[in-house]
Amino acid sequence: MPSSYQQEEVRPESDAVGNLLEVRALSKSYGPVKVITDVSFDVPRRSVVTLVGENGAGKSTLFNILSGLTRSDSGELRLAGNVYAPTSNSHAAMLGVTRVFQEQSLVHNVPVYENLLMGEEARFTRFGQWVDRKAMIAAAHRIIEEAGLDVDVRRQTGDYDFSTRQSIEIARACLTPTLLRGLKEPLILLDEPTSALDRRDEEAFFDLVRKVRAYGSLLFVSHRLSEVLNISDIIYVLKDGEIVTRVTPSETNEHELHGHMVGRERAADYYYEGRQNARSDKSPALKVEGVRLSAGGPVVDLSVQPGEILGIGGLLDSGKSELGKAIAGVTPPLEGQVSLGGRPAARPNVESLISAGLGYIPAERLVEGIIPAFPVGWNLSIGSGDIFSSLLGLWLHRKERRVAQAHIDALAIRSATPGLPMQRLSGGNQQKVVLARWIERRPEVLILDNPTRGVDAGAKQEIYRILRDLTDEGIAIILITDELLELLGLSNRILIMQHGGVTSEIEAPAHAKPEEQDLVARMLPSGKSPRADHPSLKTEFLEAAE
Amino acid sequence: MTFSASSPRTSPLAAVTRLFGRMEAGLWFPIGVVLSLFVFFSLSTSAFATLRNFSAVSGQAATLLIVCLGATFIVLMGSIDLSVGAIVLLVGATSITVLNAYDIGYLALPFAALLGAALGTVNGLIYAKGRIPSFIVTLGTLSVFSGIALTLLDGRAIQFNAVGFEDIAIGQLIPRLPNIALWAILAWAVMVFIGARTRFGRYMYLIGGGEQVARTAGVPVTRYKVYAFAISGLLAGLGAILAVARLGAAGPSLGSDLLLNSLAAIVVGGTSLAGGVGGVHRTLIGVLIIAILDNGLNLMGVSQFLQMIIKGLVVIAAVLVRRTSDAGQVVK
Repeated sequence: MPSSYQQEEVRPESDAVGNLLEVRALSKSYGPVKVITDVSFDVPRRSVVTLVGENGAGKSTLFNILSGLTRSDSGELRLAGNVYAPTSNSHAAMLGVTRVFQEQSLVHNVPVYENLLMGEEARFTRFGQWVDRKAMIAAAHRIIEEAGLDVDVRRQTGDYDFSTRQSIEIARACLTPTLLRGLKEPLILLDEPTSALDRRDEEAFFDLVRKVRAYGSLLFVSHRLSEVLNISDIIYVLKDGEIVTRVTPSETNEHELHGHMVGRERAADYYYEGRQNARSDKSPALKVEGVRLSAGGPVVDLSVQPGEILGIGGLLDSGKSELGKAIAGVTPPLEGQVSLGGRPAARPNVESLISAGLGYIPAERLVEGIIPAFPVGWNLSIGSGDIFSSLLGLWLHRKERRVAQAHIDALAIRSATPGLPMQRLSGGNQQKVVLARWIERRPEVLILDNPTRGVDAGAKQEIYRILRDLTDEGIAIILITDELLELLGLSNRILIMQHGGVTSEIEAPAHAKPEEQDLVARMLPSGKSPRADHPSLKTEFLEAAE
Repeated sequence: MTFSASSPRTSPLAAVTRLFGRMEAGLWFPIGVVLSLFVFFSLSTSAFATLRNFSAVSGQAATLLIVCLGATFIVLMGSIDLSVGAIVLLVGATSITVLNAYDIGYLALPFAALLGAALGTVNGLIYAKGRIPSFIVTLGTLSVFSGIALTLLDGRAIQFNAVGFEDIAIGQLIPRLPNIALWAILAWAVMVFIGARTRFGRYMYLIGGGEQVARTAGVPVTRYKVYAFAISGLLAGLGAILAVARLGAAGPSLGSDLLLNSLAAIVVGGTSLAGGVGGVHRTLIGVLIIAILDNGLNLMGVSQFLQMIIKGLVVIAAVLVRRTSDAGQVVK
């Protein structure tokens, strides 16, 4: 056996009391947008602590800070009593904080044991170069056994299905710190660990949690409240970047938790609910038929009427953003057809749909929505070559400037001029430029994916007003959003998606909006239903523009 | 995610000042290099600052400039065209064969341009439709085009026998300025106009600055990529026939120095290989730097090998200096 490899006895420390992790007054903002504000909480030694909250409540940012991916603006972290300031993910791991990401980080084309021991190869290396495979396999086998998994560590990682791979990753994060590095009290961060697990692996996972809890602590993020209530010792509820409450499972229930998560005054004025158009029987502005996002996945049909806002909600991995992209033809679906304003149905293609009267605003504004280094006017005219160039192909600079200035005035895009680089505007003003891009085209249908992500509260309301103005003109809007209140406040009708399919449809007239708790409950997978595995549905891990 | 921290001081005037600041850093630096090279060589060798030598330099630089114009659009949209030299060789070889076999005279000019455009379109179609990186596509066609051309030439230089054809290149409609340089400057002016004033030009910037954004907004990205390669090929074809007319022959080494020189000139001029930054107007300066360097070092009697070393270092230094000066300006 290589001398540097020592097996550690897994035994609870007897003298450990108090908190393993203390978070004090942590704040973080991106530009004008506050993501988390003055967050304080404790993770006691040998406990399971869970953070729950809506999408965008700041959970991912918090995890990013704890695992060294981002720095907080202010506040203090203490790990086992010492100041804890990780500078990178590997630094955090060295200090004893490991993280399981929502997106898998395993390498597919190497054996399982190499993945399990990645970064630890030095322990198994003798004479500088020679790797002791046998010892590695033995160590990896021990980890797998400890985790209660049925996996042959010598097989290729890619041979195992999504759920098993997720289990392998969890096992790696939970067990390598202790088994290999001899860490007495690891802190393990788990970001929605069970969302990809099938039933069998889930049981193994809960067993593993109990084992790890005997000596270390776990900090969870999860949407599955029933599960949260089962395994947690303490539950913190995050809302709009603040901790709103701390409860223990014995003193609460699922319904109450839902209430804490969303319990925010929904001001009808904020969403201009009074201006919501009544539904008409006009012929639909957009009809979507038989759209399938992934092979073997469900089929989506929907239609929107002129002047209507159709809201689409669901968890991050529900496929709602993918549906938006598919309808707009940005990433055409596997199958299915879209027809705009009574035109013949056709496979969606972004160029022809846009020239026929569709507008699409992507969620990732800085990557897909705008070119930050280019001027406001240029960003406004992207995709409108038909409007801003003559028949001979000359670009109409003067018209571009004039139109840009008109929209800057009309939409109150503050501190903007047509020639100003886009990156100098705040998120809300950038988004108004993107809106102006489509307003100028006088579209029939707009598809908006999280239009107010990374936008401050004031600008949000202005965007809502603009959306109401657009519906007054008879424009149909499909609103895909992670923000529950926005979904409720703006929509005439709400579709809830899970795993690439629409699972429920709810009417939301201005005078009888559905309950927030009801929506949340519909988004969550019902109980322990067998999880359809959708490895192809990319889990949007980053609540990027938080 | 980058938010500018300058929201409190965003007066429209400040924006203009900043824009000017960026222009200076991006454009005045290469102009400064041209001027310093000019002064340096004037002082070093008496043969440099003469009208005779300027005629010679402009003739030499013209082919490079014409070929670089189209390639600049390719770089501007974030791609790369390694095959321009090979297109020049193939078009040159084909044109001279056709010119000698049939008495087409000046029709050789449109013939060469169209042939070049066709070869460029081949590049563009494989790149845009096949979704293969342009580096790979043009690396492949570089070899294919050269191979065909060398087969055609059978490894030898072929002279043309059309009387007076060389006038299109070495005649002087304007005294002291060889026609080839005149055409090059006209082509440059046209391309600058296209780059700044047309839909095509705008789309080149958009594709280079944010292809995903442009595609999501409905810009016909694939089509315009093909157009760009077609234009690059067309100009390479024009450059080829003019070079042949100037040299009086097409040989196996025609265009062999264009691959490196064209990229060097484009990059030194200030068009970023990342795309979206720069423009055809800057390429003129890059071409001047490369041409003056070549010519001046020759006149000073510096050996070919040392010249290669110096040229390489100048290219790297030019880009390095600009990169640091832009670092605080462009947040991207």
